[in-house]
Amino acid sequence: MNNEEKANSLEPKDIPSTGTGSKLEATKLPEAGPKDTNPAAPIATETPQSVEAIKQPVDPDESPSRSVDHEPRTDEAASFVAAKQEMAELPEAGPGDANPSVPMAMEKPEAVEAIEQQVDADGSPSSSVEPAPRTDEAVPPVAVEPLFVKKHQSFFDEQPLHVIERAPRVLRYRTRREVLVFGIGAVATAAGAGFLLPQNTLSRLGMRRDISSPGKEWLLNKALRIDDDVAEALYLRNRMVPTYTKSQITPLKNNYNGATPDPSYIPEWRLTLDGLASGLSVSLNIRNLLASFRVHEQITRLVCVEGWSAIAWWAGLRFDDLLSAYPPMSQAKWARLESSVNLGPRGNPDPYFVSLDLSTARHPQTLLATHLNGKPLTVEHGAPLRLLVPVKLGLKNIKAVTRITYTKDEPADYWAKRGYSRYDGI
Amino acid sequence: MPRSMQLPKERIATSTPECQAGVLVVRRHHLLVRCSHWLNVPILLGLILSGVSIYWASPIYQHKPDPLTGNFDTLAGVGIWICAHVPGLHQYGSPPDWVYNHMSLGPGMLAVALRLHWLCAYLFMLNSLVFVMGLAMGGGWHSLLPRRTDLRDALKMFRYYIGLPLAKLTRRTWLHPRFNTKYNALQRVAYCSVPVAGLLSVFTGWAIHKPMQLYWLTAIFGGYDKARIWHFWLMWVFILFVVPHVILVLADGWDTLRSMIVGWSTRVKRSEVIAHEQ
Repeated sequence: MNNEEKANSLEPKDIPSTGTGSKLEATKLPEAGPKDTNPAAPIATETPQSVEAIKQPVDPDESPSRSVDHEPRTDEAASFVAAKQEMAELPEAGPGDANPSVPMAMEKPEAVEAIEQQVDADGSPSSSVEPAPRTDEAVPPVAVEPLFVKKHQSFFDEQPLHVIERAPRVLRYRTRREVLVFGIGAVATAAGAGFLLPQNTLSRLGMRRDISSPGKEWLLNKALRIDDDVAEALYLRNRMVPTYTKSQITPLKNNYNGATPDPSYIPEWRLTLDGLASGLSVSLNIRNLLASFRVHEQITRLVCVEGWSAIAWWAGLRFDDLLSAYPPMSQAKWARLESSVNLGPRGNPDPYFVSLDLSTARHPQTLLATHLNGKPLTVEHGAPLRLLVPVKLGLKNIKAVTRITYTKDEPADYWAKRGYSRYDGI
Repeated sequence: MPRSMQLPKERIATSTPECQAGVLVVRRHHLLVRCSHWLNVPILLGLILSGVSIYWASPIYQHKPDPLTGNFDTLAGVGIWICAHVPGLHQYGSPPDWVYNHMSLGPGMLAVALRLHWLCAYLFMLNSLVFVMGLAMGGGWHSLLPRRTDLRDALKMFRYYIGLPLAKLTRRTWLHPRFNTKYNALQRVAYCSVPVAGLLSVFTGWAIHKPMQLYWLTAIFGGYDKARIWHFWLMWVFILFVVPHVILVLADGWDTLRSMIVGWSTRVKRSEVIAHEQ
């Protein structure tokens, strides 16, 4: 902004004693005027716009508290302001004026508008300027001296302090108010956080009452759904996952959640396909599958929801190829994969089932794996056929798949029922 | 004559204002910075508690199973050691769980810990945006930028803090190093590195959360397993920052603590005076 314009605009002609006090209350003016003791000194009663004034590089000969502009003032603009100021202020020069070169700001502390009014104050007076002795005691004034920042401030330099003045009453009021608001917020947050803590944790902390509620579940499920949506948005069908070399292969542990099934199921194993476009149910054995589909190999990382991961060399048919050979019904968006041979912790039958979106099923690296590290799958790793979907967490990589059902709606998922995510994209 | 009219240099340099006319204050923290600062307390607490619960499911630091206890988790081992050596804990029910019972939501709570972790993580990212907006709007970022002299000056400050308790005890004078900025060099190093640690936590978090779709991010941190280690130790950066942070703020007094609530401080004195004396 042009400096001259700004000086003009901020200097209302009907306010005699203030250079920048465009917001000064009218009631204050008659008092401020006669008490002014420095005819040549600029008297600044600040407006909020002028708060930054002291930080700006200012010619030391000028009255810095008047420099409401943010740019260094040009000489012309400065003298223009000075002239205007002198015209305005001379008639009101008081007899007690002692030091004509002191910039000074006045503020009536008892002004009702104290909250609105701000005075630039600064603790580092230039050594060349001495504060004016005051004789008038009727109004407790405040002298503020500008900081002469001679060095040009670079964009990255620290900004000088914004020193402002407030009535103690206002500060007390604001402190009370804001500390109160803070306290209420803290109590509310603590209550909310306690509400979100799992019941087990609360019991351990000595809380006996059950405070589980639908709202809590809703909020936590919402966060989970948002995260699933993010995962779905990140998924790209043609984005390949990193592959590794054989030297990078790491051991893969048997992570059957329950007991490992007895291998006696393997000879009679068949894969059943349901929800096909043909409306028929198809049953395939492992020899059919290996004979009719091309086997692909890949060395990829399997990541478990628990945090561990393993790099393994897999081989098998592409799920996409199976989908092409036995197309699902046209409305199908999901596949439900089930393993009827899965066992619970005590060896009890505990069918395992996962949901898989067909977009992920069609990913080129989504395999129906038959081999691990060059050998047919062992019972620990889901012989004779398991799902290998590296873009999902390990818990979607169902072992010993016995049935695939294509559905329109999202099918149930073993781990989603136990509080885990449903999409599990990684 | 009102006191405030006397040499302001002395007045401001030596005392906090008690004059009738008004109190000189400086703006210290933008409203959004204050909000995000305090919101970080429950969010980080939630992230750490749920994070350690997630860690329990597959600890990064493992050793060969102990022949006596069968334990392989170093952190569980810490709990076993504590229960064996700390008086009063000998009867503790499950020593391997001691650390998890005291530093996390608890063991065996992976699903709920993950849900809380995602909730807090998204809140943390939103809150970080609020923080950045507050820094930009209030200009506070200027004060956080590192300076060339920071390392040397931070060591000076560190020496000051280390020697201060002894100097107090022996009643020797122990001068506070001078600085003419909003924060001293040690503060600046800390207040600048914590947002960086926050940023790295977010990035390492995404790296281990989506190691396939964001494989390039995972690769930046040296792969999936290394990214987990990064993420784990970044948690410790927060913990190791917060402890002295809270101690020093409380030692520094009400004005400093209040300034993070109300936004202003009555400490208008130091910087300019020192700046002019130099």
